[in-house]
Amino acid sequence: MYKFVLPVVEFTEEHNRFRLEVREFLQKEREKGTYETRCDSWLNGFNPEFSRKLGEKGWIGITWPKKYGGSERSALDRYIVIEELLAAGAPVAGHWIADRQSGPLLLRFGTEEQRKFYLPKIAKGECYFAIGMSEPNSGSDLASVSTRAVKTDGGWILNGTKTWTSGAHHAHYMIVLCRTRPKDSQNRHAGFSQLIVDLSSPGVSIRPIKYLTGAAHFNEVFFENVFVPDENLVGQEGNGWKQNMAELAYERSGPERILSTYPLLEELIKELKENQDLPRLTEAMKLVAELNSLRQMSIGVAKYLEEGKDVGITAALIKDMGTKFEKLVAEMTRLLVNATPSLDSEKTIEKYLAQSILHAPGFTLRGGTTEILRGIVAKGMVAQ
Amino acid sequence: MSEMRELMVELTEKILKENCSKELVDQAEEGIWQGKLWKLIEEAGIFTIGISEDSGGTGGDYADGFHVLRLVGKYAVPLPVSETLIGNWLLQEMGLQPETNPLTISIKKDEFINIQEKEQGFLVTGKLTKVPWGRFAKKVVTIGKKEDETYFILLPIEGASIEKSTNLAGEPQDTISFDQTVTELQMKFVNVEGLIEKVQDLQGLSKAAMMSGAMENILDMTVQYTREREQFGRPIHRQQAVQQYLAILAGETAASLTITNKAIEAFQENNDVYELASARVKTSSAAGKVAELSHQVHGAIGVTYEHRLHQLTRRLWAWREEAGNENDWAEKLAHKILNDDKSTLWEFLTRTGSKNPVG
Ligand SMILES: Cc1cc2nc3c(=O)[nH]c(=O)nc-3n(C[C@H](O)[C@H](O)[C@H](O)COP(=O)(O)OP(=O)(O)OC[C@H]3O[C@@H](n4cnc5c(N)ncnc54)[C@H](O)[C@@H]3O)c2cc1C
Repeated sequence: MYKFVLPVVEFTEEHNRFRLEVREFLQKEREKGTYETRCDSWLNGFNPEFSRKLGEKGWIGITWPKKYGGSERSALDRYIVIEELLAAGAPVAGHWIADRQSGPLLLRFGTEEQRKFYLPKIAKGECYFAIGMSEPNSGSDLASVSTRAVKTDGGWILNGTKTWTSGAHHAHYMIVLCRTRPKDSQNRHAGFSQLIVDLSSPGVSIRPIKYLTGAAHFNEVFFENVFVPDENLVGQEGNGWKQNMAELAYERSGPERILSTYPLLEELIKELKENQDLPRLTEAMKLVAELNSLRQMSIGVAKYLEEGKDVGITAALIKDMGTKFEKLVAEMTRLLVNATPSLDSEKTIEKYLAQSILHAPGFTLRGGTTEILRGIVAKGMVAQ
Repeated sequence: MSEMRELMVELTEKILKENCSKELVDQAEEGIWQGKLWKLIEEAGIFTIGISEDSGGTGGDYADGFHVLRLVGKYAVPLPVSETLIGNWLLQEMGLQPETNPLTISIKKDEFINIQEKEQGFLVTGKLTKVPWGRFAKKVVTIGKKEDETYFILLPIEGASIEKSTNLAGEPQDTISFDQTVTELQMKFVNVEGLIEKVQDLQGLSKAAMMSGAMENILDMTVQYTREREQFGRPIHRQQAVQQYLAILAGETAASLTITNKAIEAFQENNDVYELASARVKTSSAAGKVAELSHQVHGAIGVTYEHRLHQLTRRLWAWREEAGNENDWAEKLAHKILNDDKSTLWEFLTRTGSKNPVG
């Protein structure tokens, strides 16, 4: 039987001091006008200057070895940084994916040259990555991906289309999941590889896709006979599926799957406190208790990830519950305060409410849908 | 986990797995005292976990006790284990000797026993309602009043009249009345508000631990059942809709266990801010979902008396109300937030606010 037993993690005084250091920095930057708090800032808040500042602080790639530009700090320190960034609704979209999954992927599967080349730039907050998984005809069924790379002298020729690619219009590179061998009817997961594609290469074109708000943060990316040099293959040729699954564990396990609407929750509690509205504050505590539970689980997973434990199923579980929670924050807030959601409202809570409601549909789709995640959890349990 | 805890948990699990059968729980519900199981638990030293060996206890701490209570919930033990354990903790704090006979606790705001001291002993009068396991307990830990002073008292139940009632799980919750009853008793001067608060925390957390244990068992049973039951020519776990339910069950269970474990540590360290209340809000609200979905997946067999499932689901329905339901605990949490008016929610949650300054 699969056990979802997670460790109880205690933050130390030292952790708390570090947390306050991060918080103070964020407060100062906000006061200086470097950024404005918003919901879902990890996908929508793009600000290269801010990313660079975080890099200077050593807070990107914070756990990585120093020789690759990291700070060799613990997973819990990293957890503190990203949690504080999310709670502050800071503009981290630029470097987020590189810090969260591309860097760790290269650290685990990349060559020494790749690590030396990419990781220091990422850690400086100057190099962004995009996720090249989904395609027009391959969403949940990722194994049906049809982008393909054919071997040529000194490299690969890549053809195909990726879509829904968040931040591709700002990113420098994309890690593309593609076929390097024909389909094997015996094994759907065989014959995939991961390639690092320089998005400024000839043959790459990027077309923005407007989100339902009208803003464009994701894209369609076309590859037409793009040459990708040999040294850009990640890990082993043919091992792409397994590597991609490892990448997804990084993608799914973090606190951004719980905290996308946190700034709204903070405002809600603030308002109810100001009103001394005990009955509604009591209702809102159900959100707070849920957040506390999810947060403990998520911290536990971070700890396990650091210890090298396989957390794939638990990460899927928390992402499923966390994204439902993110949506619930918006749905409960609208019933607990007198606010009309509007993106251009003068009132902070109305603005955050609007951001949350409009972005909510994506929460339970991106990174694997609710239905797919639950399938992973159930199959994982039944198989044990 | 400490070595002591591991040993205690292992030992308890072994005893309960081997001895606390479906039939035994059925019998208990018919009103038969399970003395043999009681004896086994007593001999294992479970009733005095958290009491030092010097004081006649087993050693270990509160946290060890709560982890054992999780197992009491997991196996639906039909005995006043949590009441006796917590009763003993209270006795210890009052400087009294622990008991190994069944104890119960009735510490409520508006209920107390009037005490008069006479030559032949104490004369006690008063009514205690919804006393868990009242009919089987030898003594009750409650509040006494004598000449306008309030006391923590340990009172023998013999000589009281008992009106029987049960909760949804068939566990006794009786009314105990004393009417000029002559008795021996032990009493200690006490601050009643502090005592009520303390007992609510202890009982609240014990129910959170027991509920999360019950959920753990329900999840195991349900996953197992989906492997065995076939419809449309294949096991039902192959059905997408069933998979969705399994995942929700797993999530609610894992979240309940995680926040309860966190609350146990915080309580043990005397450092509880929001953990305990969050654990109660979470487990009590998860209880209903877990009961509903586990029954849905089990189909008709799960609603029969023959099946074990209802022994656990009925306990969830009963326990989620006991020592405060999720609304009561949410309100407690709300008060904590209101009382910490200088901190933002984030400061409160990360323990970096005005009430928890970082040193
Ligand atoms: C805001 C946003 C940002 C994104 N960013 C990126 C990105 O940067 N890079 C990237 O590669 N992708 C990205 N995606 C794509 C995302 O990963 C896909 O949306 C997701 O995997 C689902 O694929 P789909 O949209 O094609 O839906 P489909 O797979 O077509 O699913 C449609 C519906 O059918 C259900 N369904 C499908 N198959 C099953 C099944 N077997 N069982 C039960 N239900 C099923 C789904 O759960 C869903 O409800 C992003 C998506 C969003 C919304």
